[in-house]
This record gives sequence, structure tokens and C-alpha cells, in this order.
Amino acid sequence: MSSERAKDLAQSAISKARDAGATYAEARVQSTWEREFALKNGEPQPSFFAEGYGIGIRVISNGALGFAATNDMRAEAVNEIARKAVRLAQASSAVLRKPITMDSSKPAKEKWSPPEKVKIENADASWLRRVLVEVEGRVADGKAGVKLPGRLFYLMAGLEKRYYVNSDGARVEGRLPRVGFFGSLTAVEGGATAQRFIQQGETGGLEIVERVKLLEKVEEEARVMGRVLREARKPPTGTVDVVLSPELSGIAAHESVGHPQEADRVLGRDGAQAGESYLKADSLGRKIGSAEANVSDDPTLLHSNGFVPVDDEGVKAKKRHLIKDGVINEFLQNRTTAREFGLKSNGASRSVSFDREPIIRMSNTFVEPGDYSTEELLKEVKHGVFFKTFTEWNIDDKRLNQRYVALEAYLVEKGETKGMVKSPVLEITTPKLWGSVKARSKHMEFEAAICGKGDPQQGAPVWTGGPETLLAGIKLGAR
Amino acid sequence: MELDELNEHAISTAKGLNVDDAVALSARSADSMIRFANNSVSVVNRVEEAELSVYLAKDRRRAIASTSNLEPAAVRSFVRDLFASMKGLPASEYVPLPDRPAKYSPSRFGYDKKLEDVDERLPGMAKTAIESALKAGGKRSAGVINAGKSTVAILASNGTRGADSRTSITLNIRSFAEKEASGHGLSCSSSLAGFDPGEAGTKAGRGAKGMREASEPEAGKYQVLMSPTVASNLVETVAGAASAFAVDAGTSYLVDKLGKAVASSAFSLRDHGVTEGGLGGRVFDDEGIGTRSNKIIEDGVLRCYLHNLTTAKKWKTQSTGSAGFVTPHPWNLEVGRGDSTYEEMVREMKRGIVLTSNWYTRFNNYRTGEFSTVPRDGAYLVENGSVVKSLKGMRAGDDLQRLFSSVKLLSKQREWIQWWEVDTPTLCPWILTDGVAITRAYG
Repeated sequence: MSSERAKDLAQSAISKARDAGATYAEARVQSTWEREFALKNGEPQPSFFAEGYGIGIRVISNGALGFAATNDMRAEAVNEIARKAVRLAQASSAVLRKPITMDSSKPAKEKWSPPEKVKIENADASWLRRVLVEVEGRVADGKAGVKLPGRLFYLMAGLEKRYYVNSDGARVEGRLPRVGFFGSLTAVEGGATAQRFIQQGETGGLEIVERVKLLEKVEEEARVMGRVLREARKPPTGTVDVVLSPELSGIAAHESVGHPQEADRVLGRDGAQAGESYLKADSLGRKIGSAEANVSDDPTLLHSNGFVPVDDEGVKAKKRHLIKDGVINEFLQNRTTAREFGLKSNGASRSVSFDREPIIRMSNTFVEPGDYSTEELLKEVKHGVFFKTFTEWNIDDKRLNQRYVALEAYLVEKGETKGMVKSPVLEITTPKLWGSVKARSKHMEFEAAICGKGDPQQGAPVWTGGPETLLAGIKLGAR
Repeated sequence: MELDELNEHAISTAKGLNVDDAVALSARSADSMIRFANNSVSVVNRVEEAELSVYLAKDRRRAIASTSNLEPAAVRSFVRDLFASMKGLPASEYVPLPDRPAKYSPSRFGYDKKLEDVDERLPGMAKTAIESALKAGGKRSAGVINAGKSTVAILASNGTRGADSRTSITLNIRSFAEKEASGHGLSCSSSLAGFDPGEAGTKAGRGAKGMREASEPEAGKYQVLMSPTVASNLVETVAGAASAFAVDAGTSYLVDKLGKAVASSAFSLRDHGVTEGGLGGRVFDDEGIGTRSNKIIEDGVLRCYLHNLTTAKKWKTQSTGSAGFVTPHPWNLEVGRGDSTYEEMVREMKRGIVLTSNWYTRFNNYRTGEFSTVPRDGAYLVENGSVVKSLKGMRAGDDLQRLFSSVKLLSKQREWIQWWEVDTPTLCPWILTDGVAITRAYG
């Protein structure tokens, strides 16, 4: 569909919604293009290609919020779905206790896209296949020093284009190319098994595969699995220091800072699904961690998996300082939650597809870097465990009780990294974790992930990351 | 355009390209939703979509594609582009479609005309659920009602054709009382008559009221009585492990266990393409093979993996009607009933915990089946056959084979479960297990 036709349809949908009684209306025409290839134990799987588009329309009428979507892009069908959104919102206002309103954020008028050296449309079947065959070649037949009877690799290249318009004057056009990789490795040695899932993803063009050093990364992960199976010994239990790698710092930042600081959860909107939050509307300013606890979310990072410079409510996004010097500093806000807090949106509203309503999402959530080198930070540890990578993890729905089980982990004695330890378990409350942060390195890394939230589910690409983070005096468990 | 016409355009174009095999699956759906939180509606949704998926095979090269651009010219162009793109693909394991075409009529199960247009009745249903929860002791409730209808039509190059339709309506409600006390209720049905928002609301409200004085348990091994909601979440992972794709990929604990005991003899698990009351499934799978009832686990013994044509050839067996072109999967799961009542099961417990809901099940290793999950909402400590107090702040961990091998009792009563944490509709009883590790967070 031409972009001019998409713009006409979106504008028409807004007009029809306003005519039907909407006090606010927005329309988002979104198209997707995807190419995917997979190898299972070296065997090609059927390739998957997808192309689609549609329009999502969100309205406020009688104080109630309505969302409707269709991929029937005939003008009459689009206009009718816009009117239906209004009709359903009006009908639902019988169960409305508090009218929903938008804040007065400045409507963005922007056209955006991330840097892209090699256009994503060049990701044909040959390219996808070549990359995965090279990945397979690095680890098949014990080449990485360990037998891997279970190998599953997916490579995906995708492009989202969106045109957004709302009745407050926002006009936003975005082009979002991305490359994503998922790998599942199962290693077997001496009757024991180890498993690792590897995710890589960035926004940009085909150069991403080289930028993330995909081949080297997968090979190194396989080598480590062999070492885990051969070398890992029982971990210490009792009270020790814990060093979280960038990967562990990132998942902890995402799960126990980003999620509980989504304003919609704080206000109870996700109560029946992903749950609420241990934080309340009056928790801003509450001390939750040590002065070394600093966690942010930044959708403006170039190349990042969670790159969203303008959100799906037409608000220019910016870096959010979630925990600053141990204090709850900021929640992730959209225009309706910001209105309830008496604030302005910080641009955290995202939708993964035309047929999903925009909701508050993280982008790239990370522990801020500190001043230590990695070596200096490890020197601070007398007796501890360095969590390098993790497998199992989960957290309760208030985001207060979390668990991370390491795959690659090391004993640290008097500042020196010793042998590998097997499956140490960090099961800890959120205040204890962030209250125990003693130091942070300046070495930053990010991991790609898909964050699940919403009903129906919306898997949103994000980065999680950070530096090495030292937690002092932690009680560890073992599997 | 009608779904049959879409399929005809796709298959005639594919045949013109001289493909070895082609399948067109077109689908049309209309889904309505109302969400509420703090006893107030937060949003209503209406999504109307149609999509065409096409599978092509030529010279052992295979590709699948989907499009939402359903103009006839666009469909023909889409199929030609897909065919052209296959030149860059490697040859792979290929199993032709059966020579003999099949004709499918819609199932007599799973479609209720009364659910075709319920959009404007959803607010009233939400109100009933909220008010029932309030009356039962919940102070504020959050929840969602989803109602949908869908039709899928198939046409394959071997002449196989058919169509099937489904309706469903589900309510997931969570009610909150003082402090952190919460209770959970579900109502899941393929018909309007089977949907009871008032009962689900009452259950959630009563659950919240009962959790007001909850405390954290001591860490240790416990008997655990899993509600149908909790059990369905874990049973779905068992069925996922029975997919031959997962077995081949090393992400299944059921590798090398065909014909062996993988659960207690009290535990049986079936998958049905269609079944009375089932909220999902259809009469044909993505490859045009008729779906059926598959005994996955019978009296504790693993009887089959779930197969499509490709995995079946590798395993020298027949397709189980479970395709997915790539990944075989279940449609409607059913756990065999027992002969106990809930009360009898509680009386059997010496030191145990009743869990009514859970979320965030994650695996340490799918190959070994080691996992942990986080209970939420109603949870109760049982000592010597009596509930003595409510519990919060815990985590349950185990491995799937050990857990299901420890099954002692199952209830007569079963419920259909499908919600945020259970994708595959599952008919499930209460299940009493033993030796489950319960842990608490440090700090």
C-alpha cells in the first residue's frame, strides 16, 4: 500500500471517529515484512516469509477507551471499524468509574528510522541460509569442544513501517528494520546435560550480524557449555558476595526495576495478567537501594533492540532514570497514566502490531555504569560467586521475589576468579538486591530479549544490560 | 472475498508454477475484549482480521508465507514471489502430501451462533463478574473477557479441502482485598450457555477474602494439591515436550522415553483435534491431515509423540494430525479424571500446600524438565487433612517427570482452562502430588 493511501485512511478514520462522538482519536497504519530461516541439527526447516498490514484505531468517548483494528483496508471497512471503536467505548462507559483522559504532551511531527548500512530488504533466503550454515559450522560435530545433539537456530530479518496520526496534531512516520537471532544449544557429556538459549537482536540493516559477532558468540557459548559439564562443582551456600555480569545486571534491571515501575501496573491496569507492583502511586522518592543503585531505560540508543524514538501515542521518547542513587525516581508513563500522576508522558507507549493497543513498555533497561574496571571490581570480593550467564529465572507478579539460576558461574576468592560452580541460585527480594549494590564496573554490555506483556500478549523487542554489579553479603542457594 | 476463493487463487497460481505440493490455509476471525481494573473498565477491543498462509514445496525446497493483502491479484503475485524466493533455499527433508484427497465438514463441536455478536453484551458480563467478586469479599477486581469466532479453510494441491469454525468466550478475573490478598477465577467455554462470569467473580472474591492473613511458608518439600489452573499450566509444558520437533531439537525431557513410564499410573493425557467443550482445534491440521484423539500418556506410560508428516517420516510412523508445517502441537488437551473430591484430596494431605494459581513457569533445562514456577493468589497450608492458614511469597520447583510420577490422586471434577498462562485449552482435574520443593526469597 502506498504511504499516501495509508495517510488518507488514517486521517479518514480519525474524522469518522470524531464524527461518531470520540473526544480523542488516533490511528496507526502499520505494515510488517519478515523473512526467517531455521536450521535444526543442521537440517533446513521450511522458510517463513510474512507480509501484512492493517490499521489500529484508538478512541476516547464518554470517558471510555476503545480500540479496534482491521486489515481490510477498503475505505468503507476502515471507516466502519473506527465507528465501531467509538460505539463499543460508549457502551462500556456503563462500567466506567473514572473517565480516561490524555495528558497535554506536545504532539510530535517526525519521520524517523535507525541507521541502516545494508538495507534489510536484501535479506533473501540465500543470505539467511548462509549466515546460519556458518553458525552451524562453528559448533556442529563437536567443533566447539562439546557434543551438541540439540541445535536449533533461527535468523530473522524484519521491517516495520508505521504511520501514526492523532486528533491532537501528532504526525509520525517510522521505519524500523531489525535482525534477530535465536539459538538453542543442548550439550551432553558424561550423562549430564546443559542448555543455553542465545538471543541477539538490533535495529538496523544486515551489518548487524557482524556487529554483534554472531558466529564468535555462538561458538564461545558452546565452549563454555562443555566447561560447565566438565568443570563445574558445587557452589558455596550461605552468605557470600555476588558479582552480576552485564547479562545478570540486565535481567535484574528489567524484571525488578523496569516492570514494577511501569505506571499502568502501579495503577493496577495489568492486575489480572502480569500483575500489579510492590510500588504504589506515592512511591516516587522512596529509597529502595544503596546509593550505588542506578537503573535507567533509554529508547533512544542507536542500534538497540528497543529503539523507539517516538512512541505510539505520538510523544517524543527520552531516557528515563528509574532508580537514581537508590531512590525511585521515575515511572514509565504513557499519556493516560501521566495524566493521573499529574505529569507528562515520557514516551513509553508501544504496540507491536497494528492489531494491538499501545501499552506502557520498557525499551532498553540497564544498570548504569560505575567507575571500576572489571578487574578492580572483582578485587573487592573476598569470598563470592560471579554469575556470568543464567538459564532459569522468574519473579512474582508484584516484582518483589525473584530468582536467577546461573549456567556459567565462578567461585571468586580474595579477588581471584577460581573454578566454575554449578547452578548457583540467587533467590532474593527486590529491596535486598538493590540495597546490596556496593560497586559497578564501567564495562557495559547489552543482551536482546523479547518482553512479554499485554492481553493479547505483545512480545516487544528490548535490550537488557549493564556493567558488572557487586552485591555484598548475599545468601545463595543451589539447585 | 470468501475464504474458499482466496484458497482457489493461491492453489491455481501454485499449480501453474508446477510446484510439487501446495497448501493454502485462509483464516478469518473477529475477536472482542473488555478489560477492567479497580472495578472499572479500562479498554474495549475489537479486532477483525483475515489472513492467507501458503505452503509450497518444489524439488525438496519448502517455504511458508502469510499475507494479509487479500486482493486476487495480490494473492497471485504473493504466491509467485514466494515461489521465486525458494530458489535460494537448500533442499531439505521433504514428505509429499498424501495422494488421496480428503474432504472435511465442520465439526459438530465448538461453535455457538450465540457468540457471534456479543460485543455490546461484554460490559454487562464484566459488571456481573465485578459485583459478584465484591459480594464475595474482594474489594477491587481486574480482569478480561475475550469472546471470539474464527473460521479456517484449507485447499491443497492434492485436492484436500474443507473448513471449520470455532467460538469461545473466557473470563480471567483477579480480585484483591486488604494488603496483598488476592484470589483468582476463570470461566472458559465454547458456548454462551457454559459461560458464568458470576461464578468466576465469586471465586475470585472469596479467594481474596481468604488470603488476608497470609504468611510465608517454611522452605522444604511438600505435598502440593494443584488446582486445574495450576496443573494445566504444567500439563501444557508436558504436551510441548511431546512434540516430535522438541524431541529432535533436544528441548524435551521425553527423549528416548516412548513406551516407558513418565508419570504415575494414575495420570493420563490426551490431545483432541476437536472435542465436546474444547475451545480450540479443528478437524484438519495444517497439512490437511485429519485431526484425531491422541493418547500421549496412558496410565503413566508415554504412548506417542505429536507428529506432522515430516517428523513422522523421521520416526517411521504416521502423522498424528498435529501439524504445524514446522512444529507439531496439541489442539485441546485432556487430563484423565480421578475419583476423588477436592475435600477428600485435602484430607489425604499430611503436610501440604493447596495452590490455586501460578505464573512465570521457567525451565532451567528443557532436556531434563527442571523448572520453577511462582504461585499467586489463593494458597493454603494443609496439616493433617485440614487447611490451617493461607500462604504467600513462595516458589515451587521440580522436574516434570518427577512431579508427574508423584501424582497420587486426581479429582472427578474437571474444568476447561485457557487464560494468560495457558494457551492450549486444557480439560483438567485437581491433581495431588508429593515432594515438591518450596523456596522463599532472601531478604
